[in-house]
Amino acid sequence: MAEYQPEILALCCNYCAFAAADLAGSMRLTYPSNVKVVRLNCTGKLDILYIMRAFEKGADGVFVAG
Amino acid sequence: MIVGEQKPIDEILGMVEQYKKIMVVGCGTCVAICYAGGEKEVGVLSSMIRLARNQTDNKIEVEERTVLRQCEEEYVRLIENDLDGIEAIVSIACGAGIQFTAEIFENIPMFPGLNTTFIGYVPEQGVWKENCGSCGNCVLGYTGGICPVARCSKSIFNGPCGGSQDGVCELGKDVPCAWAEIYERLKKQGRLDMIEKLSLYKDWKTARDGGPRVITREDMQR
Repeated sequence: MAEYQPEILALCCNYCAFAAADLAGSMRLTYPSNVKVVRLNCTGKLDILYIMRAFEKGADGVFVAG
Repeated sequence: MIVGEQKPIDEILGMVEQYKKIMVVGCGTCVAICYAGGEKEVGVLSSMIRLARNQTDNKIEVEERTVLRQCEEEYVRLIENDLDGIEAIVSIACGAGIQFTAEIFENIPMFPGLNTTFIGYVPEQGVWKENCGSCGNCVLGYTGGICPVARCSKSIFNGPCGGSQDGVCELGKDVPCAWAEIYERLKKQGRLDMIEKLSLYKDWKTARDGGPRVITREDMQR
């Protein structure tokens, strides 16, 4: 049986965390494929409904970076 | 505004346990302003119900609607055409809205998702305080704008009582003595004589003691 891999949604601020992910990409760094990155204009825009919907659609965890 | 608080999720889940398709209906007025029963809370509560139920074999479908006011028919009727197959409604309006919606759609079981707590105000972000007892005979003109019905723990008209110490009610240090506040404010305004004009014996017929209250204005009727 394959090892459990949680599906993680990463909600990232455009101005810091998403920019960092971008930079990481240009440096050819990798992150696990079970992390899905979604860009937010700002984590101040984060809404509890985004998190609830993520869980409803099957995410095992939500990672907010901003 | 009318202030409410969402019921514990386990209580709500218990009420809708036997239903497979429900609608959560919010109200866009008072309870939306106090972040308890508006569109956002409908979304969150519906999501919580789906998350809890759809992990089990007892799956559920939850429709989401919010009307501007559940205490007025023209708004409540807006969901009428969306009720096909809906087995139960969870309303997160105040008690008035829940009852009125239940009356209009009387064939559908109605459950409260919210506890209506009091008529109050917002002294600061995230805090709601009761300050009107809805007694039907306002005396604020005599009491410096401070309600003895809602803000005195005993609702007395001849306070402060013996439980008042240094402006604080015996209930606890977070409860100011309304009568100490009334005295101080009237004194500041040079109107202490107002207290003597206040009847010691309030006629509670205008409050709940007289039964359910009705206001009829013929000039407003069709």
